[in-house]
Amino acid sequence: MIEGARQFFRTRWEPYSRRPFPTLLRVFIGRVFHGGGDSGASEMDVGLGVILILLALPGVMVSLLLFEKYGTLIRWMRGEGAFDPFIATIPDEYFFVVLSMVVTGAAAIWRWDALLLDRRDYTNIVPLPVSLRRIFLGNLAAILLLAAALTLDINAASFALFPVAVVGSQDSLSLFLQFGAGHAVTVVLASAFSFFAVFAVIGLLMAILPYALFRRISLYVRFLLALCFLVLLATSLAVPSFLSETERGATNAIRAIPAVWFLGINQTLWGHGNDPFFAAMTRTALFGLGISVTVALLSYALSFRRSFIRIPETAEVGPLPRSQFHLFPTGLMDRTILRDLPQRACFRFITRTLLRSEAHLQIASAFIAMGLVVGAQAIAPAFRANTAAAIHRPSEDLLSLPYILSFCIIIGIRLAFEIPSDLRANWVFALWIDPDALQARPIARKVLLTFSLGPLVPICFASSAILWGLESAFLHTAIFAACTVAFVEILLLRFRKIPFTCSHPQFQSHSALIFVAYLFGFLIFTAYIPELELWSLAGPWRVTLFIPLIAAILLSIHQYRKQMLDMDKHLIFEEISPSGF
Amino acid sequence: MLEAQGLTKYYGSVLAVQSIDFRLEPGQVLGYLGPNGSGKSTTVKMLIGLLEPTNGQVLFHGKNIQQDLVGYRKHLGYVPEEANLYPYLTGQEYLELVGTLRGMAQPRMKAKIDAFLELFSLFPHRHVSLSSYSKGMRQRILLISALMDNPDVLILDEPLSGLDVTSALIFKNLIQSLSARGKTIFYCSHVLEVVEKVCSRLLILRKGQVIASGSTEEVRQRIGQTSLEGIFLQLVEDRDVAQIANNIVDVVVSP
Repeated sequence: MIEGARQFFRTRWEPYSRRPFPTLLRVFIGRVFHGGGDSGASEMDVGLGVILILLALPGVMVSLLLFEKYGTLIRWMRGEGAFDPFIATIPDEYFFVVLSMVVTGAAAIWRWDALLLDRRDYTNIVPLPVSLRRIFLGNLAAILLLAAALTLDINAASFALFPVAVVGSQDSLSLFLQFGAGHAVTVVLASAFSFFAVFAVIGLLMAILPYALFRRISLYVRFLLALCFLVLLATSLAVPSFLSETERGATNAIRAIPAVWFLGINQTLWGHGNDPFFAAMTRTALFGLGISVTVALLSYALSFRRSFIRIPETAEVGPLPRSQFHLFPTGLMDRTILRDLPQRACFRFITRTLLRSEAHLQIASAFIAMGLVVGAQAIAPAFRANTAAAIHRPSEDLLSLPYILSFCIIIGIRLAFEIPSDLRANWVFALWIDPDALQARPIARKVLLTFSLGPLVPICFASSAILWGLESAFLHTAIFAACTVAFVEILLLRFRKIPFTCSHPQFQSHSALIFVAYLFGFLIFTAYIPELELWSLAGPWRVTLFIPLIAAILLSIHQYRKQMLDMDKHLIFEEISPSGF
Repeated sequence: MLEAQGLTKYYGSVLAVQSIDFRLEPGQVLGYLGPNGSGKSTTVKMLIGLLEPTNGQVLFHGKNIQQDLVGYRKHLGYVPEEANLYPYLTGQEYLELVGTLRGMAQPRMKAKIDAFLELFSLFPHRHVSLSSYSKGMRQRILLISALMDNPDVLILDEPLSGLDVTSALIFKNLIQSLSARGKTIFYCSHVLEVVEKVCSRLLILRKGQVIASGSTEEVRQRIGQTSLEGIFLQLVEDRDVAQIANNIVDVVVSP
């Protein structure tokens, strides 16, 4: 049989694969995974296998966790008897729907530039004797294949593991099949909806806007879409409690959430199609899916006609000039914290890279968005308490908000620092910077504090002054700022490079340990410190406890740096030591 | 005054250049020629201090540049072979980055940048990202960044790459004017016609070794060729270029 397959491959597939259309298809699939756009993202090309594993990981981890929840022994120990898997698993099914939508949507946003054909494709392919129709269909086929591959990859683990975890112990094949098929169809359709919704947005923008304007605003649209997906993820915490028959009437808002629509399909397939709520949601889901696919395909066709075919005509137009708006008060900063010229040049280079380089902005934005979601989740209990008094006195949840945001911003930017930006261009620093005179750490510190404390301190002070009065606001803001400074110092303990100009470190054997350290750091910074702060705010004298604490941390760091060898402080442009991030 | 003494560079066990010697006085323009892989870029990197020679040294005003690289580079203007620039910065921002790193005073830097952008016809594009600049525009940005701090030594690696005819003509005259103002210029190029026109001295490299050096006239007389192209072909190319061209055409027209 294997020999037969080989024979078939040799005689039929190989000759076919060398024809123009399959060749085009291969090129377009390749560009989807390895490039597209002009962002210089090649520095971050991690390979197809790694991408697929990373996308599948959330499904694997969540499915594995459910074995504990639905294990027969554990349920018996909890005193839970027989259960209806189709009812009991609604919150988990909702979470899987959300997860498949979010991960697929995130992947589509990530490959945003690679989905539609661009000038490079035009230059390379159109001059060849290949018809435009064939190019159009080739890329469309590549996009559909990508959608199918993403959908299968992201949901593959839950196809198998979720039914096994929930109904694997029950001796009924039909139950297993009904449960598994219902789940599989639901998450596949949800993934497809998510992918085509993002694709429709790209196609519409490309079809409607001039190319230069599209390039300019696409970053912001992607950020907004990413935020929408994070909000969708956050709904998995609250929405399941509104899905029971008694609670559904409490709010109509859940009808607007796409994940709830697809839960309707799931419930219909699981035999609850007679429930009017789920029947309505099923119809909405199918309608929404149809609309997203139709709009995506139409806008793709329109953008191909309007943008791709007209690329030679638009070549003369050029992009719009960059705005001269400065995010920071540059004059004031130059006179105060950036008086040293090389530091000033590096600071501006770093901030511009962070705000303009797509790869770096994506990393920083992802962490900021995560901070927003985790922060929203953290303060939700205070608001759910439903009493005005709950937010008018400091609580651990409310106090933790700036710490969570600050932690995520700082970690996101610190991680982005490690990703090089067009390494071949760093000759300008290697040539003009004096490696003995320039201290990279103060620059990195200033950037981290500008992006974290810059926006957070005024917001933190103003909001706590309104809620808790001036004294509490002053103390809270001062403690938060001091702790953030100490945290930044710890993060930059051995930092000795100009961000984005150094080759990125190889995966080190202790990288997993560092990851655990960051998780532990998150716990301390966003849970224990707010707890300590809450205790100290009860009596102003207690706040003084923070003074020796912060001083001890800063002094320890100072002592550690003093005993470092000079060679470990020297500015580097190539990561060779294992002491990087 | 820029001087190379016995410059030799090995990459591991591979010899890149061997025993390069020259001495450049203010006002002189040295044309540095050689085929691909002859060691031109390695020499340039040693001259600007990005690579340390395995043997030999580069002297500036009699001092080894490695003793005070930062001080030496304040006198240096450099145009690299490839226009590797940060694509998300605008032309003006990139020049400000270079000017600030070079420690130029802000008012002087701004005035110079504006004047250069105007002269190099880039002023209308100054707020546009470098990613959308053409090759020639990027090359002009590199030229400005090399010239903006009034350097004493100019090291130019294929500076005409991508420039249009007018810009190239301006540039040729510019080299001559800079030389007349006492600038020391090291000019590395494949474009023999330009080298012949602007360079007062020649140094021809093959497989990492100097095979001819001296003033353009001296080299001409020594080789017995009237054109630089003839000299280059005789010294560097051991293949019959006309025959190779014919062979290529044969393959083109073959069924």
